[in-house]
Amino acid sequence: MAQKTIEEIINSEVILSVEDLVIKFNLRGKELTAIRGASLDLHKGESLAIVGESGSGKSVFNKSFMGLLDANGRIESGSIIYKGQDLSKYKTEDEWIKIRGKEIAMVFQDPMTSLNPLKTVGKQVQESIELHQNLKGEEAKKLAIEILNDVGITEPERRYKQYPHEFSGGMRQRVVIAIAVACNPNILICDEPTTALDVTIQAQILQLLKNLQDKYDLTIIYITHDLGVVANVADRIAVMYAGDIIELGSSEEVFFDPKHPYTWALLSSLPQLGIKGEALYSIKGTPPNLFKEIKGDAFAPRNPHALKIDFVERPPYFEVSPTHKARTWLLDSRSPKVEPPLLIKKMQEMGAKRGDIID
Amino acid sequence: MKYVLIRLLRSVLTLVIVVTVVFLLMRMMPIEGYFGASFDKLDEAQKTAKLENLGLLDPWYIQLKNFYNDLIKGDFGESITYRPKVAITKILGEKLITSLRFGMASLGISLVVGLSLGVLMARYKGKFWDKLGTCYVVGANAVPVVIYYLLIQVFFTQIFNLPLLYDKTDPKSWILPVFCLSLVNIAYYAMWIRRYMVDELNKDYVRLARAKGLKNKEIMIRHVMRNAFVPMAQYLPASILYTVSGSIYVESLFSIPGTGGLLVTAIQRQDNTLVQALVLLYSSIGIIGLMLGDILMATFDPRIKLGNEGGSR
Repeated sequence: MAQKTIEEIINSEVILSVEDLVIKFNLRGKELTAIRGASLDLHKGESLAIVGESGSGKSVFNKSFMGLLDANGRIESGSIIYKGQDLSKYKTEDEWIKIRGKEIAMVFQDPMTSLNPLKTVGKQVQESIELHQNLKGEEAKKLAIEILNDVGITEPERRYKQYPHEFSGGMRQRVVIAIAVACNPNILICDEPTTALDVTIQAQILQLLKNLQDKYDLTIIYITHDLGVVANVADRIAVMYAGDIIELGSSEEVFFDPKHPYTWALLSSLPQLGIKGEALYSIKGTPPNLFKEIKGDAFAPRNPHALKIDFVERPPYFEVSPTHKARTWLLDSRSPKVEPPLLIKKMQEMGAKRGDIID
Repeated sequence: MKYVLIRLLRSVLTLVIVVTVVFLLMRMMPIEGYFGASFDKLDEAQKTAKLENLGLLDPWYIQLKNFYNDLIKGDFGESITYRPKVAITKILGEKLITSLRFGMASLGISLVVGLSLGVLMARYKGKFWDKLGTCYVVGANAVPVVIYYLLIQVFFTQIFNLPLLYDKTDPKSWILPVFCLSLVNIAYYAMWIRRYMVDELNKDYVRLARAKGLKNKEIMIRHVMRNAFVPMAQYLPASILYTVSGSIYVESLFSIPGTGGLLVTAIQRQDNTLVQALVLLYSSIGIIGLMLGDILMATFDPRIKLGNEGGSR
């Protein structure tokens, strides 16, 4: 399968455009800002990975595209433009129904609980088809069996009649994917699709998603904190920290030439880069408290390379290349030259040789 | 099927043990009960004669053997003290049917109203309907029933001009007892279905259903309601069967000749045959109810396999 080049992706049409999105939650009488002015353009046909630690807002960010925020959350400002419509203005269920499934579908993290235990697997796939593809009864059933086959379930006619508890974890995730694909969406959001699965199955599921992307012409967003997953599938990577995208670039750019100190830290903590006998690198400190307003660069307190300006003013995006940008003052021409950590330099060298770092 | 058969055989064994134990316990009680108020007036010879007449002076194993012999023939014997010389089957027959009728009427109403209320509460969790429903559920459970039964009897008879006491020939006299019986049951069903629905609503598959574009209403009807009903299905058959045991408060308040409190009375008055019949009846109901509940649940939930084939839960 031919991987798309980064130029092809950047030049293809923007299918979803998020601008300055701010999402707030009311929690125990206090207000939490989960997403702090994040912007992102999603290009048709690409695989975009959004990485970040737990609580960085990657799930919330994506849920807001489908109106699936919890009841105490709301979009404060910004826009989500999809097919000329601003989804951030959507309020009622009737409006969201037009988007959910039909336009944007989602695969969740835990396949063990994502299926209704009392309905046959086939019926659950068929439900998507009947909702979105104008087919009923036998025709819908036929298509459901076809899709089950497409997601790699053998003997789909027999499996159609079985219940989720008769499936293994990996097989259930295939069913969840089948349900999403059966909606015939344009965009597929995979929220940590392999986190709950063991490693051998992870690779299979990722390969499956790649294949389906070609066959069904999907644009896929992977939400994950597993950089190994990202390296395998993503065309572009968006790094999230404290509710903002702090670096965005092609996979190669982010892996081999990262610019933001947080990305440096994140990559340095990859187990694959660890040196035998030495403690694995970990990022000191904790993510900022999102109940408080954050001044300057959110990562500054944990950043050994932080500049004074980092505590005062929020950095804008600096363009490294047409496809690569990062939010750090280190890229400002006035800032002192800061060398990335040793491990990152090693990566850069490896990148120059175009060696494959993962696996 | 094999499973059901084994379960039935085990149930019979359980019944034999229960009935035998109760039979023996009754024989260990002091003999005053057999004579009632006349106990002090009778001399020893008269007492012995009466006991002998009742077969109570035989060794216990002979008594037990006779009891089972009669039982196999379907003969429950005659009442000793409650209504002397009247066949137990005759006493129970009328009473059971009366209690059953009231019980079923109230159960039907409770299921319909209670489940609807519970679904409504789960649907609008934390909102007005939920709060109102919770007030009712807490009230119905916290306030002793006698208090509002009395209030209902006093006020409703005046306001709606309904009869005060049960009258076989007057269908209007059914309204208040059934209403009273239903009040608590409605609260019970509303509380449990709400609870199970809220449980289900928080599950991941509901999130997936929403993400694939189902409306809330469709999720409720197609996914959540059935799943929430499964744990309740287990107790439904037992609830239906237990209606024959009647309600002691409602039946005495409206003077309904049902089975409510009959077992207590029978024990106090030491009516051995009546106690044995009632114990046998209630135990059977309990055992059969549970078994039907398990079967019903297995038909709803494919994860539950009856028997030894090994379920995956």
